[in-house]
Amino acid sequence: MSRGAWLSVGAVFAVFLLAWKGIVVVTGLRPFILPPPETVASRFVGAWTDGTIAPHLATTLVEVALGFAVGAGLALVVGYALARSAVVERLLSPYLVAAQATPILALAPLFALWFGSGLLGKVVICALIVFFPVAVATMVGIRSVDARLLELGRSLRATRRQILTTLEIPAALPNILGGMRVGVTLAVVGAIVGEWAGADRGLGVLINLARGSLFDTPLMFATLLTIALVGIALYLVVVAIERRFVGVR
Amino acid sequence: MTVAVAQARTRALGAVRLRGLDFAFSTRSGARLPVLDGVDLEIGGGGIVALIGPNGCGKSTLLRVIAGLLAPAAGEAMLDGTPIAGPDPRIGLVFQEPRLLPWRSAADNITYPLELAGWPTARRVERLAALAGLVGLDPAVTASRPSELSGGTRQRVALARALAMEPQVLLLDEPFSALDALTRERFDLELLRLWERAATTIVMVTHSIPEAILVADRVVVLSPRPGRVVADIAVDLPRPRTIADLDQAMVSRTSREIRAHLGDPDAGGEAEPGGRVHQPIERPPAEFAS
Repeated sequence: MSRGAWLSVGAVFAVFLLAWKGIVVVTGLRPFILPPPETVASRFVGAWTDGTIAPHLATTLVEVALGFAVGAGLALVVGYALARSAVVERLLSPYLVAAQATPILALAPLFALWFGSGLLGKVVICALIVFFPVAVATMVGIRSVDARLLELGRSLRATRRQILTTLEIPAALPNILGGMRVGVTLAVVGAIVGEWAGADRGLGVLINLARGSLFDTPLMFATLLTIALVGIALYLVVVAIERRFVGVR
Repeated sequence: MTVAVAQARTRALGAVRLRGLDFAFSTRSGARLPVLDGVDLEIGGGGIVALIGPNGCGKSTLLRVIAGLLAPAAGEAMLDGTPIAGPDPRIGLVFQEPRLLPWRSAADNITYPLELAGWPTARRVERLAALAGLVGLDPAVTASRPSELSGGTRQRVALARALAMEPQVLLLDEPFSALDALTRERFDLELLRLWERAATTIVMVTHSIPEAILVADRVVVLSPRPGRVVADIAVDLPRPRTIADLDQAMVSRTSREIRAHLGDPDAGGEAEPGGRVHQPIERPPAEFAS
């Protein structure tokens, strides 16, 4: 980004902070309802320096990473099969849509019951929520591969594997990474929801603690800020991968 | 590895023989739509044949049968005495559009066939230089993506890619039809120069009578669908040819003869001097496109 672009990003953020502070001052809301930005900022720094957040963050990141890897990995395989086989699409798509339409919030307690309050349940929830957007994006991407390029590959006697690696994957990559952009932010949601339903560590747990047992609203805001930053960071990782592998076409 | 410099027209390799070739597309309702009907054609090694015919007559289909991309319903296609059973490294194909992989550089597009064939990088780089020279591609642009290249340069890249495996036969499906008239003329002449050096057999589908006459030894006229060979006209122009050759009286005569076989009602007229017929692209109807 250019210097001007950075400046405008900073300006918008400053307006946001001022509006927040303004609401607190004008309405006179007490800090346990809406703490002012400087209170949240100092609590954020404090919770980081005294080691309150770090272990919870580490737990959530592991859940997100594993859940995303499993969900997106399966989605690539299933998305490819959906694109290339009408039978697979007819048989599987009702279940995929149903799984996506069922609120993850309703499923989370069930998974907690089945898989316990450890890592496994969260990985399953993350994988489930990541699966759909990546599978659909893969299906659309593979279907949109130019048939003329596939004919070219055939005329050059490319093997099935070569067609997949040199034509289909590169051609579908912009779509697939678009689905992953959505998927990676949803993975964070999945992990927090899973922790909410039953866990002993994680950012979702910390929110519950701050709200209920500790009655520490600024800590809750600091945790929310951390979750938002995790989402932004992961999203930027996918964007960077996209820049690297898709670039200018 | 260098590009073979052979004596054109006297080569033993690259002879194509088509006998009683039938081809039909099946429609969605299961009906058969005959596209080629008993095509017989013999092309000697190192010769240049232009295929010309009305839209939808199956010229492109015929080219795909020779390329081994489509299997004929009846009859046989042979290359140097062996049946063409599928895509063959001895055959290079240039499509109507450059058909480059947009995510690869020009260089990586040219060496794509070599990569698929498992050539090591060092040999690919070596061959790339020879190919770029052969098709007159500026080495400075080989690092560029196709989207950064002009239409003509893209088709040069496609031509280099088709020549990568040193084919005996080069099949061209209206290769220069997307280029403007002057560029097209230049590319036709460059193709002839390339042919003198690479000495492949060339089969070129075209819509343009002047282009056919300028390039080919023989112009083969196909009937409307289902395509049959209705005329096989020798072009009696000495080589090397130049654009000025198109002004000869012999060219007008040949052009008139081709037009007559194409069923053109104005067949009695002169060929427009250097006239280039730019007609819409010939394609099978969308529902038959594979």
